[in-house]
Amino acid sequence: MAKRKRGGARETEADDAPKAAVTSASDGDDDQPPRRRLRPEVRFLITFILVLAASFAFLAWKPVNDKVIEPFTGQIAKASGIALRALGQDVTRTGTMLRSPRFAVNIRNGCNGVEAMVILLAAIVAFPASWKARLLGLAGGAAAIQIVNLVRVVALFLTGAYLPRFFDTSHTVVWQTLVILSAVLIWILWARRVTPRPVPA
Amino acid sequence: MSRKGAATRRKPQHPAPRGNGESRPQRRGWALRLARNLAFTAPIAMVLWLLVSPFLSLFISKAAERLTRLGERSSVTRIELSQGEDALISRGDTRAGGRLPYSVRVTDIHFPLVLLIAIFLATPDVAAGERFANLGYALLIIMFFFIVDLFFWVKFAYATQLGAWSAAHYGPFARNFWGLGKHVLDLPVKLALPFALWAAFYLRQLTGELFVQADA
Repeated sequence: MAKRKRGGARETEADDAPKAAVTSASDGDDDQPPRRRLRPEVRFLITFILVLAASFAFLAWKPVNDKVIEPFTGQIAKASGIALRALGQDVTRTGTMLRSPRFAVNIRNGCNGVEAMVILLAAIVAFPASWKARLLGLAGGAAAIQIVNLVRVVALFLTGAYLPRFFDTSHTVVWQTLVILSAVLIWILWARRVTPRPVPA
Repeated sequence: MSRKGAATRRKPQHPAPRGNGESRPQRRGWALRLARNLAFTAPIAMVLWLLVSPFLSLFISKAAERLTRLGERSSVTRIELSQGEDALISRGDTRAGGRLPYSVRVTDIHFPLVLLIAIFLATPDVAAGERFANLGYALLIIMFFFIVDLFFWVKFAYATQLGAWSAAHYGPFARNFWGLGKHVLDLPVKLALPFALWAAFYLRQLTGELFVQADA
């Protein structure tokens, strides 16, 4: 693609390293040609897609949805209700529903941050790192995503109550994008942190 | 200006080499610059998306209509755009007991474009030509995905949302296939695709030296 064709100094340096390694390997005892391996990006993407698909299939399974996801979403509604009451809103909660005299909202799949957490999980598992680093990244990342999601639910409730004409755009475009972006950013910061420092030659 | 001065000025035009010489604070700096850039590119992407959204919705609706008709003996599927954002799905041969037209919000399908444009434009240390070429390839892929996503919505509506008409025309396997397909495409794939495309183009830049070692 364009990136390979237009590779500058950075790309040239990256491309030279494998060639040097291949040459030194063939100079040794083993005359076998080097085994072709998948490009790391391809390996990452395949693992990412497989973990993503498996995780979503698992979460879409009715017993998991009923016994794990729904109660989890209820807890999000509970936390959001507490935050809204702290902001002076007269809010009552029933299951995943938040209701006030001005507005009511039902927190459903897609609004509970689980999708963003699963994307983060798939990206962390697909990236080469130690399991300890993965677990730490996942725990910290999931907590951060849920904080962002709590802000989302509270902000959306207030938008619905006071600026209802902006609710749809805010719900679909602004906050969905922000929650997924936060997951992506958390992963990027984690990946940069766990990438091992190169050993000087 | 002296020649020496000009040479000194030209130097920073080349991006700092990634990989072997890069220390951990520098690498973290790259990620923080990406985060900072996102604060600028996300609003720009959102405004761009809002501007093109009606045209995009129309294009995706008409393309999905064509795609659906490819599998029909006589072209009966119609997808009309309402208020620039809702696709009204109907058929020329039935109203399915008054359940048609079925409405799908097309803006909900193509809003991940905001995420895609924002993150591609925010990536640091990429030449402008390369950046826009990569964004162009990613846009082509994601536009194709949006059309397929709406196509699955249409088939999902036919197979599961039209009561007796659905039951008469679609068997249990087909109902599950189109239902699961719509669910998978419209939630995990739609939300993850911009990131996956970004990773396909920029993963090596993110972790240069690690992947060079892996290749070797």
